Amino acid sequence: MSDLIGYLVTGLGIGAGFALVASGLVAIYRVTRVVNFAQGAFAVLAAMLAASLLGAGVPHGLAELGGVTLGALTGLIVGAVAIGRPGTSPGTSLIVTLGLGVLAYAVEILIWGDQPRSYPGVPGVADLAGARLQAHYLLIIAVTAPVFALMAWFFTRTDLGRALSACASNRYAAQVVGIDVRRMGLLAFTIGGALGGLAGVLTTPVQQVTFDSDVALIVNGFAAAVLGGLTRPVIALAGGLLLGVAQTLAAGYGGGAYQVEVALVLMLTVMIVQAARTGPVAETAR
Amino acid sequence: MTAVVETRALTVRYSGATALDGVDLTVHDHEMVALIGANGAGKSTLVKALSGLLRPDSGTITVSGRLAQVPEGREMFGDLTVDDNLRLGGWRNGRGGRDTTGVYELLPELAGIRTRRAGALSGGQQQMVAIGRALMARPDILVIDELSLGLAPLIVTTLVGHLRALNTDRGLAVLLIEQNARLALDLCDRAYVLEAGRIALHGRAAALARDPRVAAAYLGGHIEVTS
Amino acid sequence: MRRRLPAVLLLAVLTLLPPLLPERHLATFVLLALAATVTVGVSLLMGYAGQVSLGQASFYAIGAYAAGLLAVHGVPPLLGLLAAPVIAAVAATLLGAPLLRLRGHHLAFATLAVQLILLSLLAQADWAGGAIGLQGIPRFSIGGFELREDLGYAYAAGFVLMIAVLIARNVIESRAGRGMRAAATSETAAAASGVAIGGYRLAVFALSAAFAGLAGGVYAFYLGYLAPGSFPVLLSIEFVVMAVVGGLGTIAGPLVGASVIVLLVQALNTLGTQPGMPGYAPAVLSYAVYAIVLIVCVLYLPKGLVPPIRDRLSVRPATPAPDHV
Repeated sequence: MSDLIGYLVTGLGIGAGFALVASGLVAIYRVTRVVNFAQGAFAVLAAMLAASLLGAGVPHGLAELGGVTLGALTGLIVGAVAIGRPGTSPGTSLIVTLGLGVLAYAVEILIWGDQPRSYPGVPGVADLAGARLQAHYLLIIAVTAPVFALMAWFFTRTDLGRALSACASNRYAAQVVGIDVRRMGLLAFTIGGALGGLAGVLTTPVQQVTFDSDVALIVNGFAAAVLGGLTRPVIALAGGLLLGVAQTLAAGYGGGAYQVEVALVLMLTVMIVQAARTGPVAETAR
Repeated sequence: MTAVVETRALTVRYSGATALDGVDLTVHDHEMVALIGANGAGKSTLVKALSGLLRPDSGTITVSGRLAQVPEGREMFGDLTVDDNLRLGGWRNGRGGRDTTGVYELLPELAGIRTRRAGALSGGQQQMVAIGRALMARPDILVIDELSLGLAPLIVTTLVGHLRALNTDRGLAVLLIEQNARLALDLCDRAYVLEAGRIALHGRAAALARDPRVAAAYLGGHIEVTS
Repeated sequence: MRRRLPAVLLLAVLTLLPPLLPERHLATFVLLALAATVTVGVSLLMGYAGQVSLGQASFYAIGAYAAGLLAVHGVPPLLGLLAAPVIAAVAATLLGAPLLRLRGHHLAFATLAVQLILLSLLAQADWAGGAIGLQGIPRFSIGGFELREDLGYAYAAGFVLMIAVLIARNVIESRAGRGMRAAATSETAAAASGVAIGGYRLAVFALSAAFAGLAGGVYAFYLGYLAPGSFPVLLSIEFVVMAVVGGLGTIAGPLVGASVIVLLVQALNTLGTQPGMPGYAPAVLSYAVYAIVLIVCVLYLPKGLVPPIRDRLSVRPATPAPDHV
């Protein structure tokens, strides 16, 4: 029983990271219809910078903030290259973000080398109803929950958030009322970058990061987001948590093997079922 | 009378095909002007050019004052509430220009549905939201692309009543693009007839309604076209 | 006949070039020819079936492991090599039946997921050498004649590439090929004209997997050692880069794309391993090249290198390239 609670909370912590990556994908896709392949790179860059800052004596909090800021900035740059040229189709933008993700490898190895990096998070072991787990997982959950609440507030209660939602809802109408949809797309990329960065700095203490960690992050994030058709942040959150718990349970009770397959098979199943239900998925990535 | 909107020799081409060909059109302040024409005559192209969503290939567009558009098909922000739709209509005015109370006074029907999702409303309600959203921009001229298309006669009457009131009480100029030529000619002071991208006829609406060419092409046993 | 000229030219290059190359460049030649073989399939898939696969290295791996495992268990290498494309195509057919219902980014992620699953399974499969890899694959031989020198493998790789090019050309010029092109350009139009899109798409998917599997078979015998790490996701991305850079939907495209990328990376690799260069230089340079070439190409040269060059030389194309990526 206490094993189960431990797995569940650990899973929620891991899942919160996936959920953050997924919600970044959703934020960008809703507004721009671009699936951002460089989403995992935001997390890696942010984590690497945070590790360097901590190593240079910058206190916790500030170092992580630096990482998230780098994530946001990278998001803006990726957005500018991917959607900056008028007339770039979402399918072309996807390939561009793929290229930028690979370019991030070059930058990361150049600056930080190709060895895994990590840094200490919340030290110690927490005791939760008899279950013992790394205390840092509780921090991940404690930070992610208010971030999602803040996003819900931002997207529904502020005019800037409403304008982003408006672009997602009806691009043409947004132009009619005078919203600059390209600028909103760049804002969405920046938000996506910050969310990816947050995922990176939060999870690195429990999962060390390498330059190519982005593949696992993007795949898990996409798996979580695709549950809600890439447009529904709440389902992306639920999907991320579900994936995290499912993987931890698979690892815990399955002895560590086949943990990766859980997310991937789930994602494939969801997409195939969705496609079967709606007919061939409309050509969203034209 | 000063012109709120004036186009001179306006020409727009889509990959070779000419959609608008030397269009001269003027709407003065306080005036209601109709633009009628068949499908594909270039009406929607003209709306997009006037709203700045499309760059003309040649000719000029002069807009003095503020222009707001009620787009064809109403183009709701379907996932957002009626109130959010209206607020976004005031986007260009900045933070101070997004108070929606004035619009609820002008269009009281909207007050009861302000928290509903716009996508779930009836066509008539959506058209009213679209007009309210355009009014949020505090326009001097309202460009309406298809007011009556697909709507029940009763709601059209209500909408027409609102437009008349806005025109007489607030001096709002209106350019009405309309397939129902009879409705447009009844409501408006002047009218233009657009055929294959050119202005074929223009003049007083009442006079055009009596013109045999207009009667034959646009009024004779008018068939509701819903495309 | 002008139509045959490019094929004859290619045959001449593949026959005459290897003996002229110094030993150290023969390895590059082999890998280039194998990459080009895979890319012919990727280009066919993207240009003629309109689908992006980010998991093409899976079929390269399946072919390599099939040939390697069979050879390790004493099956004659020739049989192993022939089995490689068949097994890869069968795998593609089984996977493609459900996966090809997906489009665009969904299919891209699905193929990526398939590759990650394959790599994870291979790493856990003791019978395939696990994460350490499959060792002791014998050299390729036919009836007692063993292929020992790099030159032999250069000819084997060239032969495999020639086969892929000829099959691809015949497919493109067939009725089915025209149907697929229609499907890539507009699915609705193709459906309206009665083209059985689903079947064609699956056939192209299987064919492209067969090319990758065949190339993988040669790779297995050439290297004599296989590990999951030899087939990273990045390899799949490299094939896409080569296809996009050369120009989709042309026969010369994949050849030009693979040559440009492999030679560019090779040149930078030489530069990166110069004395005085830091140890990370080769990796950084090659990632940067893939990334920048891909981005610049899709943004500024969406048809790839071949069609603009061909237009400039005003050679009439045998088949017009489809207009979209």
